[in-house]
Amino acid sequence: MGMVTKRKKMHYGDTHLQRRWRVRNRRRDLDQIDDDLRTRSGELMNQNVDLDKPGFAQFYCVHCAKYFIDDTAMQAHFRTKVHKRRLKALEIEPYSIEEAERAAGRGSFVKPKKRAMETQPSKDDVVAGKRIRVEEVPEDTAATDSPSTSKTKRKKAEKMET
Amino acid sequence: MRIETCYFCSSKIYPGHGVNFVRNDCKIFKFCRGKCHKAFKRKKNPRKVGWTKAHRKAAGKELAIDPSFEFEKRRNVPIKYSRETWQKALEAIKRVTEIKEKRTSQFVMERLRKGRQIEIQMDVKDVQRNMSLIRSPAAGLRERRAKEAAEEAALMEEDLPEEKITYVDARELEKKLEEGMGIEDLEMLEA
Repeated sequence: MGMVTKRKKMHYGDTHLQRRWRVRNRRRDLDQIDDDLRTRSGELMNQNVDLDKPGFAQFYCVHCAKYFIDDTAMQAHFRTKVHKRRLKALEIEPYSIEEAERAAGRGSFVKPKKRAMETQPSKDDVVAGKRIRVEEVPEDTAATDSPSTSKTKRKKAEKMET
Repeated sequence: MRIETCYFCSSKIYPGHGVNFVRNDCKIFKFCRGKCHKAFKRKKNPRKVGWTKAHRKAAGKELAIDPSFEFEKRRNVPIKYSRETWQKALEAIKRVTEIKEKRTSQFVMERLRKGRQIEIQMDVKDVQRNMSLIRSPAAGLRERRAKEAAEEAALMEEDLPEEKITYVDARELEKKLEEGMGIEDLEMLEA
């Protein structure tokens, strides 16, 4: 975290951080994006032509809240680490003011839910009626599906056979 | 006047302290101090920052799930003052905090006890692994070797059958050899 100690410069991209953290440069927060995904993803993926936006607002990644100039740029973005990292971050229900209050002692702790996240469908599919779905992953299936537990189960089965 | 809670670290914000940030979707984020405000600006996730209440509760460091947390609530409906309810509320607050403190301390002690057990297990393992430091593997080695040697010797004696040795006078043997008899002949003679 290094809030007190002096920050070491480990990456070449870490410049003008204070400027980037200014409020005017603020991008959409995770909880806003989460709201977008659940309520108005179709609308965002199929926007009206806006000449001020990059690519006339025709190529928008909902998860990263970012406009692209054309489809190839957007497809390339879907293959990047930035996008995958964002998908991973959105898998867990985002932090909220309510959670802060609960942590302060107003109400019991509620475990944040886990959801399945996938890259948005292509524009043709969206026009055809496909939408982003944010579905919760039930705890039990998530546990059984994970490879570690299945491995142990397999091992146990082998032991039983031998 | 209200004592607010910090968005980032969930601590109390007394009137006249902290910063409010109103996002462009009208959500109000309150921060107790610059540290929390800065962390928010850097888009840190409070669940992943160790010193926040959210992290401590999510990680099971503190009592997080308990009915005693359900009393305190943000009630946005004003209640008309009456002396009786006021007094009752005060009494109730005292009692609830007492119970809550007891439970939290019990939770922490329970947690520490578990740690103590693990510590004991680790100690036992450590001793077993480093037994050589406590008692040298070479201790009593000389005595052990001597004992082994003695046993071996005893075994050898038992195993070997005793051969009969016939003693011959050296001068006679020399004479016989000079007379021209080979050793083979001598053996024949004896037989």
